[in-house]
Amino acid sequence: MVNVTIDPLTRIEGHQRVSTEVGADGVITDAQSSSLMFRGFERILQNQDPRDAAILVQRICGVCPISHCLAATNALDNLYGVAEHVPKDALVTRNIFQALNTIASHATHIYVLWGPDLANPAYRNVLATLKDTGNAIWKEMVGRFAPISYKIDGIPIPAGTSYLAAIPEKKRLQEAIAIIGGRMPGPVTPYPGGYFYKPTVADVVKISSYYLQVMDFVSKYTLQVPFDAWIANTYKASSPKKAVNFVVEHLQGLINKSLSTNDFSREAGWGDVEFYAAFGSQLVGETLLHLPASLKHDSIGGYSDPSKINFLSYGGFYKPENGDGYNPSSPAGDRFLTSGIVTGKLEHKDFDPSKVTESIAHSFYENNDNLPPAKGETVPFTDPGKIVYDQGPNSRYSWDKAPRYDGIPCEVGPLARMLAIKEPLVTGLALAFHENGYSAANVYTRMMARMQETTIIANELLKWVTVDFDPKGKIAVPLDLSKANDSHGMGLWEAPRGALGHWVSTDSKGKVGTYQCIVPGTWNMSPRDSAGIPGPLEQSLVGSKISAVGNALGVDYSNPVGIFHIGRSYDPCISCAVHTIDLTGKNAPRALRIL
Amino acid sequence: MSTGIKNLVQTLDSVDFLKMDRRTFMKAVGFLGASTFLSSFQTEIVNALEFAETKIVWLHGSECTGCSESLLNAANPDILQALTKLNVNLAYHETLLAQQGIWVDNKLANTSELNSEILLDDLIKEGNYILVVEGAIPNGPNGSGRYLVLGNKPFKDIVGEAAKNANAILAVGACACWGGITSAKSAVVQETDYRGTAFLKTDASKGILSELNIDKPVINIAGCPPHPDWILLTLGAVILGKIRIPDDLPDILDQYHRPKVFYPPDHVVHDNCPRRGYYDQGLFEDQAGGPYCLWKLGCKAPYAHGDCAIRKWNNSLSVCTQAGPCSACVEPGWPDSSRPLYVESEGKGVLLGENVGTIAKVAVGAAAVAAGVHAVRRMKGE
Repeated sequence: MVNVTIDPLTRIEGHQRVSTEVGADGVITDAQSSSLMFRGFERILQNQDPRDAAILVQRICGVCPISHCLAATNALDNLYGVAEHVPKDALVTRNIFQALNTIASHATHIYVLWGPDLANPAYRNVLATLKDTGNAIWKEMVGRFAPISYKIDGIPIPAGTSYLAAIPEKKRLQEAIAIIGGRMPGPVTPYPGGYFYKPTVADVVKISSYYLQVMDFVSKYTLQVPFDAWIANTYKASSPKKAVNFVVEHLQGLINKSLSTNDFSREAGWGDVEFYAAFGSQLVGETLLHLPASLKHDSIGGYSDPSKINFLSYGGFYKPENGDGYNPSSPAGDRFLTSGIVTGKLEHKDFDPSKVTESIAHSFYENNDNLPPAKGETVPFTDPGKIVYDQGPNSRYSWDKAPRYDGIPCEVGPLARMLAIKEPLVTGLALAFHENGYSAANVYTRMMARMQETTIIANELLKWVTVDFDPKGKIAVPLDLSKANDSHGMGLWEAPRGALGHWVSTDSKGKVGTYQCIVPGTWNMSPRDSAGIPGPLEQSLVGSKISAVGNALGVDYSNPVGIFHIGRSYDPCISCAVHTIDLTGKNAPRALRIL
Repeated sequence: MSTGIKNLVQTLDSVDFLKMDRRTFMKAVGFLGASTFLSSFQTEIVNALEFAETKIVWLHGSECTGCSESLLNAANPDILQALTKLNVNLAYHETLLAQQGIWVDNKLANTSELNSEILLDDLIKEGNYILVVEGAIPNGPNGSGRYLVLGNKPFKDIVGEAAKNANAILAVGACACWGGITSAKSAVVQETDYRGTAFLKTDASKGILSELNIDKPVINIAGCPPHPDWILLTLGAVILGKIRIPDDLPDILDQYHRPKVFYPPDHVVHDNCPRRGYYDQGLFEDQAGGPYCLWKLGCKAPYAHGDCAIRKWNNSLSVCTQAGPCSACVEPGWPDSSRPLYVESEGKGVLLGENVGTIAKVAVGAAAVAAGVHAVRRMKGE
C-alpha cells in the first residue's frame, strides 16, 4: 500500500489536503479529506446590526460572494418579516445578480480551475499509443486547456485557446454584475426587503448586450450546436432518453466527419462541450460512439454504496411568475431550481431542513456531537500539537465538520440540482451510467451537469432580464427595524457549488445573537462522521484509479491525475467550508464555531 | 493616437507616477486609464531591450480569493495582457497554476512542473522575485500559526521564508494589509490572532513580519477587495524601477503604507460621488431603493481615502456609491472602523475604531471631517 497525498490541492478556492492509500493495482482503498484552515471570524456579527451580515458574509468567499449575500438577505427577509412582501422586481434583480455570478463561477471552474488537468502530460503519453488519432486528441486537449506558466519536459506550453478566451468572458460577467451591484467582487446592493439599487432601462440594455457578447463566446468555444436548439432538445426534451439521444446523434455526426481526417478542432464542429461529452466518457465515447479511446472519467469519482449518499438541493432562484414574495422555507416548487433530495438509487424525496445534523467526531473540535445546526456548538482545539493531519482515518483530521441528512452524507452542487429538477440530459446520463454498472455520479456527470446548468441558467437569465424585469416596478419595501427584536431567520439558497444555508437569531435589542452558515464545501469535502461514514469526496475516491485513463500505462504514484480530477470535480470552496460564521454558545469564551 | 495624446503619454512616461501629485495623476489616469500607462511602460520595455523577466510569487493565506478575483477583472489591459507587457512570470499562484503538492509515502514526488511544493522551494531558494501576499496570516493558536497549515508547514513560516528572499513585498487586500475581516472584533480574535503582513489594524509593530523578526518594507494595497488598477499599477511601478525600495517609500506611501496616489490623504470617495449633487441639496434616503444621498443609511464615503469614484470599478462601469453605501473598505481596521454599516456615522471614531482624537489629527483629511460635520448639520436642519 502506498500513501499518496495531495497537499495542498491547488486550483480550488481555499486550502485542502487529500490523503489516499493506493494498492499496487493503482486503485484507491482509503481516503481522507482535510480542510487546512481555521479562519475564525465566526463571531464578528455577534452583538452587531444584523443588516451588516449581507455585506460581511461576502468575505467568506470572493468567488461566489453573491450567493452568500443572497443567502444572508433571505435570512434577513425572514428575520424582519418581509420575505412574503419582497417586490417581484427585486426578486428578478436578485435572480439576475445570482445568475451572472453562477455562470461566471461555473466558467471559472470549467476553464481555469478544472480544465488545466486535461493538459496533464500523462494524457499525452497514453494518447500517443493511439498514433495519429491519439495525437490529434492530445493536440486539442493541450491546445485548449493548458494553464498559464505551464511547462512539460522543460518546454514552455502556451496557455490554451479556450482558457485564454474564457478569462475576458469571466471579467465581462463580473462587469455585468457591477452594473447592478456597484462593483464586483464586493457589491453593496443586497438588502432585506428588496434590493438597494433600482436598475434603469439603460442598465437592462447594457446587461443584455453583455449577455450577447458572452453568448458569442459560448457559440464560438463552448457549444457548437445552436444554443436554442440545444436547449430545445436537451433541457426541454420530452424524456431523458430523447435528450441523451439528441446529444449522441449530434456527436455521431461529428465523429463520422472527423475520424477519417483526425480533425477534432472547433472548425470541425467540436466545441469544448462536444469534445468532452464524446471523449470524457467510456460509456458514451467507446460503447455508444465506438471511439478508439476515451478519458474514462465516468469510471472515477463515483460512489460504490448508493445507500451512503444523497444528492441535496435547497432550491435556488425565485420564481417571478409567482409575483411578490417567496416562502423562506423553500418547499418543493417555490424556486426556479426546486429543492429536493435524490437518493443514491435516484429516488426523489422532499427536502426537510429539520433532518440536517452535524458531526464533529473527526474534526478539530471538542464539543457535543451530532447536533442540528441551529443548536450546534463548536469548541476548536487550541493545542497546536493536536492540529495534525497524518494520524489516519480514526483520528480527527479536518476543520470541516460533517453535515449529514438523516444520517447520510450528501453531494451538493450542479449534479444534485440537475437531478433534483429532473433535468432530462443529466438525468438521462445518470440513468445510463446507473444501468450499465457505473456510478450515476462520477467525474464526467459532475462536469456535464455543470456545463448543462450553465446553459439552463443562461437561457433563464435572458428571460429574467428582458421579459420579467419591469424598470417601473417597485424595488424594496420599507424595513421596520424593531421587527428584529427577538426574531430569527433562515435563508436557504443555492451557491454555484451547491446548497447554502444561513441562520440568524437576534436578542431583545435587535442585535445578532447567533449567526450560522452551512455551505456546499462542508457537505462535499466533509470528513467521516460519528458512524464512521466517509464524506462524499472520500467515498468517491475509494475504488477510483489514480493514473490517467484507468491506469492505461501502469501506475504512476507521482502523477495521480485521477485524484486531481476527482478532488476538483466538486469545485471545492474551502474558505466557504471553514470560514463560516456561527455565533451560538455566546457565553462560552472558547467556543469558536465553524462548520 | 492623436498628437495631443502622444505628447501626454510622453509626459507621463517621463514621470514617476507614484510620485505625482494627486491632481495631475487623477487627470492623467482619469483620462487615459491603466491602458495608456502600461503602453507607455511597454515603450520603455522596447527601448530597454535588456528588460528582464520579473517573477512574482503570490501566496494565499486565510482569504476568500476575492483579491485575485478582482485582479482577474483588470480591464484595458486585462490581466493576461498586463503580465505579457510587463514581462511578468507569475511563477507561483495557488489558484491559477498547474501544480499541486504531491507526496508519495510522505516524500515530495515528481518535479516542479507538477509539484507546487518543489516549485515554491526552488523559487524561494533562487530569490529575485516580488512577493505578493493575499489573505491574513494566523499567529494562533498560542503563537504556533497552526490555524493554517500547508504541506505540513504553518503558513506563517512560509510567509517568513518567502519574505526573506523577496526583492519587494506587496500586501494585497485588507486581510494581507492588516488582518482585515479575520481580525475584526469578536470573542475569539485573541485566540486566532490573525495578522497582516506588516500591520495589525493600524499598528505597524504587530504584523507577522515583526513577529518573525523580519525587517522588510511592505507596500499595502488596501481595499476589500482592492481595485485591479491599484495592484497592477503598483506592480508595474516596482517592476520598472519607477520606485526604489526602500528609498522612495517614505515619499509615496502614507502612514499606513498605502500608495498615496491611489489612497490620497486629502481626497475621499465622497468628493466625486455620483450622488453628491443630492447631498449638496440636502436630499437623503432613509430606505433602500432611491436615488438620493445615502449618508443617513450609513454611507462611509466621506471617510474613505480612495480614488474609487474617479477611477470607477469593473472597466470603469460603476462605483459602490452609485448602487449603495460605501463601507470605506480601504481604511485600516475595516470592518470595525465602519460598523455599524447602515447607521450614519456623524464623524465620530468611525475611521480607526476607538480614538477620535487620533483621527482628527492624522487620519482624516480636513475636507472629510468638514463633509461629515456638514452632513450632520444638514440633517439637523441648521
